[in-house]
Amino acid sequence: MSKKQVVVIDYGMGNLWSVASAIRHLGAEPHITTSAKEISSANFLILPGVGSFRRAMEAIRKNSIDQAILQSLSQSETKLLGICLGMQLLGSTSSEDGNTQGLGLVPNTVQKFTNNANTRLKIPHVGFSEVKHDSNTKLFSSIPSESCFYFVHSYFMGLTPTIKGVATCNHGVEFVAAFEQGQVSGTQFHPEKSQSIGLHLLKNFLER
Amino acid sequence: MLSRNFRLQKVGDIDWLEKNYGFSNVGFSIDELIVLDVSRSPRNRDKFSEVLKILTNDCFAPIAAGGGINSVADATKLLRSGADKIVVNSALHSNKRLISELAREFGRQCIIASVDCKQIEGNFYIATNNGSNLTDLTLTNFLEQCSDLAIGEICINSIDRDGTGNGFQIELLNCLPELFEIPVIISGGVGNYSHLAEGLNDPRVDAVATANLLNFMGDGLASARSQLVNLGIDLPNFNLIKNTI
Repeated sequence: MSKKQVVVIDYGMGNLWSVASAIRHLGAEPHITTSAKEISSANFLILPGVGSFRRAMEAIRKNSIDQAILQSLSQSETKLLGICLGMQLLGSTSSEDGNTQGLGLVPNTVQKFTNNANTRLKIPHVGFSEVKHDSNTKLFSSIPSESCFYFVHSYFMGLTPTIKGVATCNHGVEFVAAFEQGQVSGTQFHPEKSQSIGLHLLKNFLER
Repeated sequence: MLSRNFRLQKVGDIDWLEKNYGFSNVGFSIDELIVLDVSRSPRNRDKFSEVLKILTNDCFAPIAAGGGINSVADATKLLRSGADKIVVNSALHSNKRLISELAREFGRQCIIASVDCKQIEGNFYIATNNGSNLTDLTLTNFLEQCSDLAIGEICINSIDRDGTGNGFQIELLNCLPELFEIPVIISGGVGNYSHLAEGLNDPRVDAVATANLLNFMGDGLASARSQLVNLGIDLPNFNLIKNTI
């Protein structure tokens, strides 16, 4: 059987090497690409991301990657996973660096953690944290609830009742740690940096 | 992290590192890995990036890399070679504009500020350039200005304890202002698991770093981790489904 081809979207802002390395470890073949054409015909798409929401969206729009992602999702077998900033970009807007429109694939908005003297929480939220899920998502198949995943972020996607297949984490406030809504899924944490449990989640993503 | 011995010994090239460290094996004993290029001679960035790629290839834990970062291009190269975060040290003082540029490009969560501190007559002073250049900036003053710097974490290293195995210089933490928002890593001096526990049990500490247990102690890291768990310290368990991949 030929290897699964996984397109990793390169818009200039992501830990592409780490993501590709995890995909390769799982026996699939990563293609790091900036090409809208290659993105639009992908079966498995990963949108990674480290950095600022505004700059990411500018880069994505400039290279017509937004259109290519939508076109790719018009094929019913295509699956998309956004990681960290990549997940946030799937939302509707972010307050980071002024208000910026996202890809709008899920209705949720992105906002900054706020601190106060009572909570004394550190920002960014960094390190391994427990993720709770009670949903029967494919993404978390055979992963126990309260497993630890690696997070590093200052902004978070707020919970809404409209988003499906949600796993949550708490850093002073409950936020979306992951979701799976049909073809589109995302993780605020870095599965490619979350040891064997993270690899397991990526493996689940690559299953049909 | 650095240790005193590491600075003095020429330990070898990438093959030596692979053979003696096996980062993919220690991966389940650490939460993060920090890789620093501490060359004193002019740095060969291409070579360091290649080494980083090989080291990190099968290590699925967060990786921070640094050493002499002087431009956005330097940082980009490391982030494209397996690093998730970058470590800046001397540039925090000599090139503050670079720190804002890096934050604009990659986000502040991507930047670990590392400071090497030396105790002189009861005060802690910051040294730069691999510890060779002692400045007149105190750690207290630096930490007070920290909220203006776009950094995601701060790693405070004791030059006096580094490589000694005598335990952290916990007094460094007294320099932290009240309500310090940035996650703090303490480094320098770990000789055994009880030192790690002392750091992790201090409410001002978010993470502890050691090179000693990694460099010289056989399975030191794995056994230290299980002893910390036995002490009731809340560490993530990576072994839940280890055999499924």
